[in-house]
This record gives sequence, structure tokens and C-alpha cells, in this order.
Amino acid sequence: MANQLFSKNYFEIFDIPVSIEVDLNKVSESYHDLQKEFHPDRFSNSDESERRAAVQTTSLINQAFQTLKEPISRVQYMLKLKGVDIDSESDTTMDTEFLMQQMEFREAIAEVRSKDDPLEVLDQMASDLKKQINQLMNDFSKSYEASELDVAREIVRKMQFLIKAQKEVNETSEQLEDELF
Amino acid sequence: MALLQIAEPGQSTKPHEHRFAVGIDLGTTNSLVATVRSGVTETLPDSRGEHLLPSIVHYLEDQTNVVGFEARSKAVSDPHNTIVSVKRLMGRGIEDLKSLGEQLPYEFTATDSAVPRIKTVAGDKSAIEVSAEILKVLKARGEATLGDDLVGAVITVPAYFDDAQRQATKDAAKLAGLNVLRLLNEPTAAAVAYGLDSGQEGIVAVYDLGGGTFDISILRLKQGVFEVLSTGGDSALGGDDFDHAIAEWIVAEAGISQNELNASASRHLLQEACKAKEALSNNKQVEINIELGNNKTWNGSIDRNKFNDLIDPLIKKTLMSCRRALRDAGVERDDILDVVMVGGSTRSYRVRDLVGEFFQQTPLVSIDPDKVVALGAATQANALAGNDPGGDMLLLDVLPLSLGIETMGGLAEKIIQRNTPIPVSRAQDFTTYKDGQTAMALHVVQGERELVSDCRSLAKFELRGFPPQVAGAARIRVTFQVDADGLLSVSAKEETSGVEAHVEIKPSYGLSDTEIETMLRDSMTHASDDKDARSLREQQVEADRVIEAIDAAIADDGDSMLDADEKAIIMQAREKLLEARNQSEDTQVIKEAMENLERASANYVARRMNASVQKTMAGHKVEEFKETE
Repeated sequence: MANQLFSKNYFEIFDIPVSIEVDLNKVSESYHDLQKEFHPDRFSNSDESERRAAVQTTSLINQAFQTLKEPISRVQYMLKLKGVDIDSESDTTMDTEFLMQQMEFREAIAEVRSKDDPLEVLDQMASDLKKQINQLMNDFSKSYEASELDVAREIVRKMQFLIKAQKEVNETSEQLEDELF
Repeated sequence: MALLQIAEPGQSTKPHEHRFAVGIDLGTTNSLVATVRSGVTETLPDSRGEHLLPSIVHYLEDQTNVVGFEARSKAVSDPHNTIVSVKRLMGRGIEDLKSLGEQLPYEFTATDSAVPRIKTVAGDKSAIEVSAEILKVLKARGEATLGDDLVGAVITVPAYFDDAQRQATKDAAKLAGLNVLRLLNEPTAAAVAYGLDSGQEGIVAVYDLGGGTFDISILRLKQGVFEVLSTGGDSALGGDDFDHAIAEWIVAEAGISQNELNASASRHLLQEACKAKEALSNNKQVEINIELGNNKTWNGSIDRNKFNDLIDPLIKKTLMSCRRALRDAGVERDDILDVVMVGGSTRSYRVRDLVGEFFQQTPLVSIDPDKVVALGAATQANALAGNDPGGDMLLLDVLPLSLGIETMGGLAEKIIQRNTPIPVSRAQDFTTYKDGQTAMALHVVQGERELVSDCRSLAKFELRGFPPQVAGAARIRVTFQVDADGLLSVSAKEETSGVEAHVEIKPSYGLSDTEIETMLRDSMTHASDDKDARSLREQQVEADRVIEAIDAAIADDGDSMLDADEKAIIMQAREKLLEARNQSEDTQVIKEAMENLERASANYVARRMNASVQKTMAGHKVEEFKETE
């Protein structure tokens, strides 16, 4: 049973179609079902090799769950399934307008401390980013369906930028909170 | 009347054999052991009916030790040999301890080993050994109540404990001879205790403020699955810090500096501060009268407002961790169905108020915050022992702190992010930078900071034995595996040749396997010695008691009730007992001398009793005694 999981892709593990639209409730439910079957705690009275196998199987299930849960890792994985390598450094061309926007945004984050209510500004930034990412996800979906993988790849690269910016916003909020409290 | 058991067709009618397992809450201040018996989850008391065991070990010159209340009474009079709050030292290096230094009255010995040891009259002790003594007492308590067939224990740790602290806890259990079924995060254990109670489904926050640690966990409860979404906290913040804040305030009010206090006065000050803190739960204001050594005393009072001012910054720090945990879990404050309070420090009304304000709801406090973790651990232990076949309960935990490796320039590259569900494994490929290179070193760290020096060093790995190739040709795949207990293991393989590299682990703070083996061996050879030493000590105490009683009696009425010969016989027996007590290492010899004295003084004792009865009845009529029972 457990061995079969290792030959499946992450979508198949949770018995859902390969798509950017993922029903997280359904995934979460089958994630719980799989855990109930394979978690090491279910093998606390079994021998060493079975327990080790359980650790490996649940590691795979967790990896699959984590990958599908986050949109960015989900789309990266979808490209990987099509044999597209997202990390390739061969092409560095990128929409210059987009890059400019990103640079301005980073500067805004760096200067947020001088604002009257920096945490409020950061919250607004986070919410803007969320909208932009959602838009890109829609774009990705269309390109992927149409098998325009180069376009889809370009979109994922943009998403990576925005996710990074999102992380920076969060980290800045954390730092500010540390200083304030 | 016993209920008739009817088995389903094909099932054995033989009742399932119950396998006893315990849950242990190894706390900073107090520890507890709990189990499930006949379907009831309960904490186990000692012979005096006390459920809490103070996590304090007092070492004696004769290599023995006492644990718990008896040890606590020595904390002031003998601070150097009485180890309190040892949990704060678990998995810590000598440098960490220096930063805690001012608060600790112990002397540490520098050793070659990564584990610092505390100097005591009974020898140098590591935090692991001290914790093992506490666990031994709890194990014995479990065995005494349940019989000898204990299959194992679930031991709780703060969710925020890093790998070194978890490993240290597991090593302590090993040293105490306990089979660890699972290391369970304290907040998760508390959620189990509450969740199974209420049967509610949804997202809960567990706020756990103990003596020395703070944890916040966000969990989703659904059909018996307790899924930890995020966890955060501070492994060096707890109710002890409230005491320290009060103590510092007292010292400042008294106009002296803390350095002027000796170890014993310092302990006394902390105890008084703790008492004041507890009293403020029921009183608006408490008086403090305290000896500060060198004949200095301070009389004053503290009210709730002052107390709140002192501890508010500490509570706010915990609320900051709550914000972070919510964000990591991807949930809003409104999503929180219940807030569960755990740990003795949540008894403070100020803590309850501020936490309630933050989460916009009244926190749950219906289960004793001291016991809730042990009760949850017992439930999990019972399930893991196999007593709950077909049971739905499953606990899914996360990695509390990111794991990373050191890269060029002392930077930490994260390999597994914090709050990733465990078990988890990640592979990372490395290559060689020199022709013919056959080995490489890896430094694994844990923490969220960028610089390796700001993270916790876990271990240095040396990978050896891969075949020599030109630089950059080798592909060494290193796999980091974290198990359900949150413990890391590492394996490595050279992919082009398929050669498994030998991984040599040098833990930065934990004990190496050989050190543990040596300790285990030592403790086994010393186990019988320890036991003998303990019963000898008990016999000596008993002898002292008998001698004291005889001396007191003779001083009282020896001359009036005994003639010279009678008195001489008793005194001779007394001398013999004293000699045996001071010189013999054989409990039997002391026991016989004691019995000899008791025989010699039997008549005297009988006469005294008669005399005292007559004295009581003197002046009363016989009738008065008739009705009494």
C-alpha cells in the first residue's frame, strides 16, 4: 500500500486532478485519512523496519501536502510535472516594467519605518500583494491549460518575486513588533 | 456487578490485555505522572497523596540524592547542592549558561564534553543526569501504582524545544530506564486533554506559560486529528521571570544591589517574591518582610498595580509570539474557537485578562493547568501502548524551528522551514570543490536568523569515503530526516557512484552515544550501591530519632523513674547504637543496635506511659472516662 504512494505524483496521492484550483478542504481531509493510516504512531508496537518505513511514507505525504497547500509551490510542481525547470539560470530576460515596480516596492518596504503607522502600511502592502498574486494565478491557469508553458513559466517567475516581497513584508512586520513590544 | 462481555463473531472473547503506559510532564517547577486506568485518566499521587513532584534534586555527600518536597526544603540552606529548574539547562552549552549565569547559584565545571556539569558534593552532574533522577522517581511511582509491567512513557517537552533540548530529554529518559513511546509537545498534550473532553471541532490556541518556558500553538481539531498548524514561543520565559521581576524590584526598593546577596539570601529572596506573586492572586496588596542577609531586612508591600507594571512587559512578549503563530498558521484571531490555558503561571489573573483581551474571548481554565499536560500525555501513551485499537486519535506535529546548514561566509541556509509538518525529509545536493576530494564537513544549525552565529549549533557532520573524482563531478546527496519526535538524523550518498558516505556526528551540546553508554553503565553498577546507600541513610535517620527520644526522656524523668543499674543498662545500649550509627555501613548492624536499645528501655517506656496516663486522669473521677471512646 505505502509503496504505491511513492510512484504517484502529489495530486494523485490526494486523488485530485492536476490543476491550480485545489479544493484545500478535500486535500486536508484525505491528508488526515492518509496520516491515520501511515503515521509512525500507528506503528508504535511494530518492528523497527516498519516504523522506519512509516516515517518515510509520512514524510512523503507531508511533502506532497506542503507542496499543494501553497500556491507558489503548487505551480512550480505543475511545471515540473511537464518537465519545465523553473530554476534554470539560462535566460534572464524579464519584463522590465515589472522589475521596476519590484524595485520601487522594495524601497517602500525599506522606508516603511519612517511612516506614522508602519504596521498599518505593511498590512496594506500585504493585502495588495495577495491580490496581484491571485491575478497571476489566474493567468497561469489559462496558459497552462493552453499548454503555453513558456508563458506559464514567466508568470511563475513573477509570482516568485511577489512571494519574496510578501515574505519581506512579513519579516519587517515581525521586526517592528519585536521593537514595539 | 460485572457487565457481560459479548464478542463480535470471529473475535476472541478474551479481553484485551491492558498494557500500562504513563504520560510524564517533566516540568521546570513541578513534574507529574498520569495514566489511564479503567477508562479514567488521572495523575498519580505519591504515598503522602501529593500529585505534584517539585522538579528539584538535592545531592548529599554520600552520593545519594533526594527529589521533590524534601529537596525543596534544602533549596535555601544548601543552594549549591540543590538543583532547581534544571529544565532550563537541558541541551544547553556552557556559553548559554553564562548568559543565564547571574540567576544560577551553581558552579559549573569545564569538561572536554559538550555538556556542562554542575559541581555538587555528590560529584559533577549534567542536566540530563539531574532530570533522570526526577524521572526515576516518577517511574517508580508509576510502577508502584500499576505494577512492574510499564511498557513505556510519553514525555512532554515545550513545543519550542530545539533538537538539542529534545535529545537531552530523551537521553534523560534512557538514563532513567524509561522506554520513550513519544516526545509530545506540551500544548498538543493540553489540546488532547481539552479536545477529547469537549469533542468540539475547529481551530484552538493553546497558551502555555510554565515556570520557565512559554509556548503558543495553533491547532486544528477534526475527527480525532489534532493538527498543529503553527507553534512559537520562548524557551527562556516563564513564571520564574515574574519572580525575578519582583525580586529585582524588592532589591531596588531596599537600595542594595543583587550582587551583594549571597546564594542563600538570593534563593530566599526569590522564594519570598514567588510567595508574594501567589498571594496577589487572592489579595489586592501583600506585605513583604524579608531578611536580605548581613542583618539587613526590608519591610514593604506590593499591590496589584505595581505587580502588573512589573510583569506586563513579559506578558506582552508572549502576545507577540501569539501574533506570529497566528500569522504562521494563516489564521485570523476571529478564527480561534477556543483559547486553552496551560501552566501554573496562567493562574495569574493578569495573564488571563491580557490573553483574553488579545484573543477577544474568555480563555478556558476548567482543567487544572498544572495537570492538563500530564493528562493529555497519558491519553496519548495509552493509545500508543495499543489500548485503543480502532481509536481515531492522531497527533500531527510540526518542526518548531527551521533547520539549516552553514554556507560560505557563516550564513545559514534553511533546508526545512519552521512549522513544516513532521515527519519530514529533505535532500540537498552538494559537490566537491577540489580534485580527489573524498570528505566534506557539514554544520547543521537550528533557528530563524541569517547568521550561523545567531542560530543554535546542533551538530557537525563529517562525510567520508566517497570516491575521488575531479572537482565538481561528485554529487553528494545529503538527506535530513526529522522523525515524529522532532529529532533529526542525517544520511549521505554519493549519487554517481552510489557510495554511502559515513556520517560522523559531533553533537554541539548533547551527549555522544558513548557518553550515554558510559553513564548508563555507571548508573547500573551504582544502582545497587545507590539503593544500599539510601537505606543506610534512612536507618541512620531512624537511629538518630530513637537516640533523641531516649535522651529527651531521660533528661525529663530518668533519675526519678530509674535506679542506677537500670539507667546504666539503657545508657550502654544507647552508646552501642550511637557507635553503630556513626561507624557501621551495614544497615542490619544499626537495626539490631536499635532493637537492643528498644528492648533495654521497654520497661522504662511502659512506666512512663503509665505515669502520663495517671497524670492525665489525676483529679478526675472514673465515671468521666466511661463514656469516652
